[in-house]
Amino acid sequence: MQEYSSQAAYDRGEAVCVIGAGASGLIAVKNLRENGFEVDCYERDTVLGGLWNPQNQHSALYPNTHLVTSRSQTEIPDFPMPDDWPDYPSATQMLEYLTSYAKHFGLSEHIWYGSEISHLEPVEGARFEVVVKPAAGSAARRLRYGAVIIATGHHWAPNLPSYPGLDDFRGTVLHSSQLKDPSRLRGKHVLVIGGGNSGVDIACEAAVNAASCVHSVRRGTWHLPKYLGGEPADYALARLNSRPKFLRRFLTDRVLKGPSRLAERMGVETPDYGPGDEEPVRNGRYLEHVGDGSIKRRGEVARFDGFDVAFADGTETRPDLVVLATGYQPKIACVAPELLGGTRDEPAPRLFARMFSPKAQTLAVAGLVEPGVGVLPIVHWQTHAIARWLQVRKSDPERAESFKHQVNAESSQHAVEHVDPRRRLVVDAEEYLASLGRIIDTLEQEPAK
Amino acid sequence: MSLTAWVRRARTPEPVPVRREIAVFEPADLFDIEIKDNPETNPVLCCTGDPAGAAAFNALWLKRIASSGRYAAAVSVRGQGGTPTAEGGPEARAHDVVQAAVTVPRQTVLMGHGEGAAWAALAAGRYPAAGLVLVSPQRVPKQLPKPVGEPPVLLVVSESETQSKEAQAVADEYGITPLTFAGAPNDIFKGPAAEGLLDTVLSWLDAQKG
Ligand SMILES: Cc1cc2nc3c(=O)[nH]c(=O)nc-3n(C[C@H](O)[C@H](O)[C@H](O)COP(=O)(O)OP(=O)(O)OC[C@H]3O[C@@H](n4cnc5c(N)ncnc54)[C@H](O)[C@@H]3O)c2cc1C
Ligand SMILES: NC(=O)c1ccc[n+]([C@@H]2O[C@H](COP(=O)([O-])OP(=O)(O)OC[C@H]3O[C@@H](n4cnc5c(N)ncnc54)[C@H](OP(=O)(O)O)[C@@H]3O)[C@@H](O)[C@H]2O)c1
Repeated sequence: MQEYSSQAAYDRGEAVCVIGAGASGLIAVKNLRENGFEVDCYERDTVLGGLWNPQNQHSALYPNTHLVTSRSQTEIPDFPMPDDWPDYPSATQMLEYLTSYAKHFGLSEHIWYGSEISHLEPVEGARFEVVVKPAAGSAARRLRYGAVIIATGHHWAPNLPSYPGLDDFRGTVLHSSQLKDPSRLRGKHVLVIGGGNSGVDIACEAAVNAASCVHSVRRGTWHLPKYLGGEPADYALARLNSRPKFLRRFLTDRVLKGPSRLAERMGVETPDYGPGDEEPVRNGRYLEHVGDGSIKRRGEVARFDGFDVAFADGTETRPDLVVLATGYQPKIACVAPELLGGTRDEPAPRLFARMFSPKAQTLAVAGLVEPGVGVLPIVHWQTHAIARWLQVRKSDPERAESFKHQVNAESSQHAVEHVDPRRRLVVDAEEYLASLGRIIDTLEQEPAK
Repeated sequence: MSLTAWVRRARTPEPVPVRREIAVFEPADLFDIEIKDNPETNPVLCCTGDPAGAAAFNALWLKRIASSGRYAAAVSVRGQGGTPTAEGGPEARAHDVVQAAVTVPRQTVLMGHGEGAAWAALAAGRYPAAGLVLVSPQRVPKQLPKPVGEPPVLLVVSESETQSKEAQAVADEYGITPLTFAGAPNDIFKGPAAEGLLDTVLSWLDAQKG
């Protein structure tokens, strides 16, 4: 990078660079420190907590966001949430939790705010040079690290569909992440496009706050209520996973029978894959709002036309406000795609065990998965494994070799890449956790005598 | 904690929550301008098998710990002192200790006395304690979890206990040599034995990095 070469890089020795101070970055810093590493964490925004912090310029929160995964399945394994909190804490509580985690483990002193990493590249000795984007008026800073963990999240770049006539539409169009203030819905005729968790939650907010709500969804998804059999749904389903395999299927089908019959009655097709094969929608109120008519479901939008929106089935609606709850495009812009196993044409990362760079031993990504269950515990075990690997790599060449074989084997098991780009980050939580467990065992087991 | 242990726990019903009595003494509470809360040191959270719970530490311990510049706290687990009774065995009491630990502003040392030492040891299997101090442990489960984050561990027993099986087993489990204090194992909350014990513990803590 010619433009940066005017100034020598500052060498941070064996310290590790963590990019991003969202939940994943914070957990990475804590686990690296616990394993004896010095850490510098760079956060482009001025606050921690990532998407859970409404002050973060790019926050994906919308009015009244609550967790869709329950407290016991979402909390970080070695730092539980207060047990007098509700089963499904609010976004505010989630931020409070992450803030107290950072405070408890003294993480803030390792975080550099307002510091976007614009570029990183390998340099000799399996090390990395990172470039901190200059603030206005100052020069870019370059630093060298022993390793880099990318924890930049994947909910920053809105996925914005295009429709004929959209540019000339006379109403307001917002992406779900721009809605912010619930009063924007009040008294409006609202059309929500997109049937993921954001779309379904926002449709429910509109059902009680807006003048009317039409919800456009182009295919069926799993709809789970927040409770099953008197327990938080994710907890109830996870418990079934501890049952013998032959029973598991039967019991799972049995608890899901009621919810899928209700979904069918409301005109939602149940997909032909299981609820673990894709992030399910978790919302107990939605189908009831469809049932009482406060949410009207429609199919795919065909075009926009002045004040109107036309659907593929020929019907029309006239919304004041259109919310595009059409998700996000995962993007990691600070690194050449090749380093993460992608190509120029196919930039999507292909990592070993969903976290290790296939090209560089000292580069890893945390949190680039959609496990359909709480993300934080998964990231905890990922970063635990990464920290251990960085230790073993130096101290124990023999173990390092068995680790390399291991991650290779684990990754080929998951080589059944979902062709569908929308599901590229999806992992089966049960299998992935088992795989993480095996990797950690390889890194930690007492050597066989 | 191992991943498997976590998976098992996350799929087991959580103990009934209780409103826990937590006693806190901070260096600032001493009204002594010479003694300041030193953010470089780790707080200490105490628990005991004594039914008085947190109150047992009020006579001497909390103040003495705070005089060393450390944030000092003690928790009454379910059924002790001002904490209501609720179902659950040692695991639920360890849960109470962890829940108290996460309310302490910084990563804390866990210090358990008597049966409380067993709860502290279990809690250290779930929470990365900054240190684990076990004083005259009693009723310790055969299998103790490996402490999360590999904290330093201190075992302190009274002279009369040095040969006890319990103390030996705990020492072997962590691969450490116990320190001893003069006096009876039940004399630990006040009096000269308690002073001696606290000196031992606090100087050990100061010798650790935090
Ligand atoms: C609306 C919504 C609701 C969700 N609900 C749940 C839920 O109920 N349960 C659950 O488990 N998960 C949920 N998730 C998933 C969520 O992704 C995780 O909970 C978690 O927040 C992921 O944290 P992260 O740190 O990986 O990413 P983020 O929170 O996105 O944080 C990434 C951080 O990196 C910073 N950054 C990005 N690029 C750079 C750069 N180049 N240089 C420096 N810093 C950079 C960003 O500013 C940000 O602070 C939800 C997601 C969304 C969008
Ligand atoms: N409360 C919570 O905890 C919570 C809330 C919201 C989101 N989340 C999580 O955050 C992540 C993002 O969720 P999200 O709901 O914002 O996004 P998402 O899950 O990606 O859903 C996007 C929705 O928009 C639809 N869509 C995409 N492109 C479209 C197009 N061109 N035309 C019509 N429809 C289109 C998608 O349909 P197809 O599937 O057919 O592409 C899908 O229904 C997920 O992991 C989610 O679980 C959690």
